[in-house]
Amino acid sequence: MTRGAPSLTRRHLLAGAGGLGVSALAGCAERFWSRAENNGPDQVALTIKTVPADDDAMASMIVSRFRENVEAAGIDVSPEPITESELYRDVLLEGEYDVFVIRYPGFDEFDDLYGLLHSQFVSEGGWQNPFHFSSVTADDLLEQQRTESEETRRETLDELFEYLAETTPFTVVAYPDRIGGTRQSIDAPAPPQRAIEFIDLLSTAPAAAGDRDGPLTVGIYGDGVTDRLNPIAVDRNRVPGLLDLVYAPLVRRPSEGWEGAAGVAPAHSPSNAESVPPEEYVPWLADDVRWDDTGRLSATVSLRPGLTWHDGEPLDADDVAFTFRLLADTSLGTADSGIPAPRYRGRQTLVDTPDQIEVVDGLTLEIPFGTTTAPAAAQFLTVPILPEHIWEPRSELVAERRTRALTTNNDAPVGSGLLEFSEAGPEELVLEPVADHVLRDSVSTDVPAVLDGFPQFEGLRYNLSPNVGTMVDALLAGDVDVTASPLPPEQIESLADDNAVSLLTAPSTSVYLIGYNTHHPELGNPNVRRILSRLIDREYIVSELFDGLATAPTTQESFLGYRDGDDRSEPLPLAGFPGTDGELDVERVRRLFDEIGYRYEDGVLLR
Amino acid sequence: MALASVVLQLALVVATMLVTAALVVIGPRRLVTALQDVRWRLEMCLLPVAALALVLFLRWSTVDIAVRIEHRVLGNNITPQLFELEQLLFPVNPVAVLQTFQSPELTSFFAFVYIYGYAFLLLFPIVAYFALETMDDLSTLLLAFTVNYTIGLACYVLFIAYGPRNFDPLLFEGLLYDGFPQMRRLTNQVNQSTNVFPSLHTSLSMTVFFLAWLTRKKYPLWVPVSGVLAISIAVSTMYLGIHWFSDVVAGTVLALISVYIGRSYSIRDLRRSIG
Repeated sequence: MTRGAPSLTRRHLLAGAGGLGVSALAGCAERFWSRAENNGPDQVALTIKTVPADDDAMASMIVSRFRENVEAAGIDVSPEPITESELYRDVLLEGEYDVFVIRYPGFDEFDDLYGLLHSQFVSEGGWQNPFHFSSVTADDLLEQQRTESEETRRETLDELFEYLAETTPFTVVAYPDRIGGTRQSIDAPAPPQRAIEFIDLLSTAPAAAGDRDGPLTVGIYGDGVTDRLNPIAVDRNRVPGLLDLVYAPLVRRPSEGWEGAAGVAPAHSPSNAESVPPEEYVPWLADDVRWDDTGRLSATVSLRPGLTWHDGEPLDADDVAFTFRLLADTSLGTADSGIPAPRYRGRQTLVDTPDQIEVVDGLTLEIPFGTTTAPAAAQFLTVPILPEHIWEPRSELVAERRTRALTTNNDAPVGSGLLEFSEAGPEELVLEPVADHVLRDSVSTDVPAVLDGFPQFEGLRYNLSPNVGTMVDALLAGDVDVTASPLPPEQIESLADDNAVSLLTAPSTSVYLIGYNTHHPELGNPNVRRILSRLIDREYIVSELFDGLATAPTTQESFLGYRDGDDRSEPLPLAGFPGTDGELDVERVRRLFDEIGYRYEDGVLLR
Repeated sequence: MALASVVLQLALVVATMLVTAALVVIGPRRLVTALQDVRWRLEMCLLPVAALALVLFLRWSTVDIAVRIEHRVLGNNITPQLFELEQLLFPVNPVAVLQTFQSPELTSFFAFVYIYGYAFLLLFPIVAYFALETMDDLSTLLLAFTVNYTIGLACYVLFIAYGPRNFDPLLFEGLLYDGFPQMRRLTNQVNQSTNVFPSLHTSLSMTVFFLAWLTRKKYPLWVPVSGVLAISIAVSTMYLGIHWFSDVVAGTVLALISVYIGRSYSIRDLRRSIG
């Protein structure tokens, strides 16, 4: 096999002395010279970044299959395992990648696509358009769906999905089931992921009552998962539920696919392809949100009286307004044109400017959404609220276009949730219940139903394991009540022999997705992205690698991260895998590339 | 807590191995003599001990900085290059070939060798050379260890490389941590999973073996014991899916360099030539 052509992605190798050293050391001087001298047409080259198998075995396996197929298509492909925090830095902050494969917790609202794909964010860091995708058509549709409701919005969204299916800035490989284990004494319907699910578990009395004291212990694994506890950072935020528990939002989105206290495993498929009306959101720090859509949409938010931060300072409407100002510009006006936070940014653009949020009095805010549709606007109220007295000083600049709010590890987070941060060590992280929290006040009438019985445990303890096997050992030994980090399907059998432990699986809206950097010379071409997206046999991945514990996308919107419980929409005709049973039909792939104007020489795809 | 029990187990097993080997290879008489004039011996090898301790201390105290330089400043991820190089050289990757011989017994053996055998192999020659009449061999050993660590750690900062098990779990299996996940608590204390090129397991083991050969007249029995162990350890790193073949080759080269430097210079010489 000839691998003669220089590749863009290895430019650093040629440039750096380190790279030179490796090439020489590795004995491929021949290849090095031929690359340096060759100036004919080059082979198409891609690097694929993902986390190492230790951190996510499934992502690694998906890359393995994808690599084989892309290589068979004549492309020079280098898979590059990289620590999760560095992967997020490279993809979300630096834009240094060609293709990435990750597990994403899933979308909530159709409007999440706005932040993900609108060209207005093309130069921003974070989950704002990491693909550098820019299309006038998509921008128009993204803006349009924000202002429409019900049927008309649905039509615009269908048009958007159709357009995105053709242009494929990213593609979904599979929806992995949530997989975990629990001690039989705990009534968990699924491995918990969202804060509201943890709260439900904490409100549910354990089956073996009486002989139970101490916190609910949740098993998680990974390297340095508790190093950064910064709620607005994107490079490390891996402890499920943690920061959303400590930093409470105004309202919480109800959790689909979580049956709650009854302990029944969720039978129906979860769906994120329906709009949730704002009334169904669970009021949290707010005790009431009044929506006014006569003319322009606005929301009047009243906070629960008597709220405090975990350090005892009072929480008022100014903190809420401050949070939205900080997300829009973490320098609070000191840096030119602002330094937006890398998270929650898409939602933050739901209001025109954060200055328009009016603090009516200490407990009341008025938020003008203008033409925004209510289901999208409701998402705005789910961002975690931050204390002004702690984050205001963090607006200082520490480096060029970096504020302390972005760089801080926030080692001892101070929020306003029902649980407060207590301590973190190499083997555990402990949250304690706040004794006099307003939401636990039984006198007040409108406490969310999920808090009925809260808390049945003395707080929440995350048990940290270095790898998945140790987490399973801890569960079997009784040191862990329920696991939260995803268990690879191959680990399931280790739970089978133990009667005190039961397996939990439930369909989810999380996705394994392949993302493309459209700044790459070949990946800028939507036709190339569309062919690449077909080079993985999703049915095969689901049945062989996931043992059926995942769902392959079949419809236009499910290829883009929105799955429908009933899968009513038409299957997508153009997305088929060119091959059978995971085996690629090389001739067919070459024809596909041929059709879009690419040439082959000796089985090598030329650019 | 869990770490403590893993460490205790390691200490017990390795101590047993050391005592047994000391009685058989060194012999009680030599040991007793050595224990009678500990002070003189310690004084003689104070410098190489200090050098090794300094390198280990620097490593321990700068781990955060080293990781930041490795990832953020240099960011040379050579994992795909290692994989491609071996794809070019071999029809099937040597790690995958070794793993086709997989059996539960073999996995247990290699896991034992990788953890306990390795600790024993590094510690025993220190005891053995300490019991000799002169401290030259001990100085050589300690200097060679120091060189190993210095060059090895420099490479770890220069190159980010993941082992086969982390690269592609469909081609290679992570046998050690699949079978013995608790071992990760131990290995996490001394290493990160990006520190793969070169294999320090191989280089330090081979260093011990090469020096055993050079001191074969004094401890003839130690040559076959260290040889079998060193080669088993090198093979185990690949069998367990932790290292690439390239890492093992680079580790062996590093061992040769270290032994050469250890033999050619003593720290005393270095000081004299500088002074």
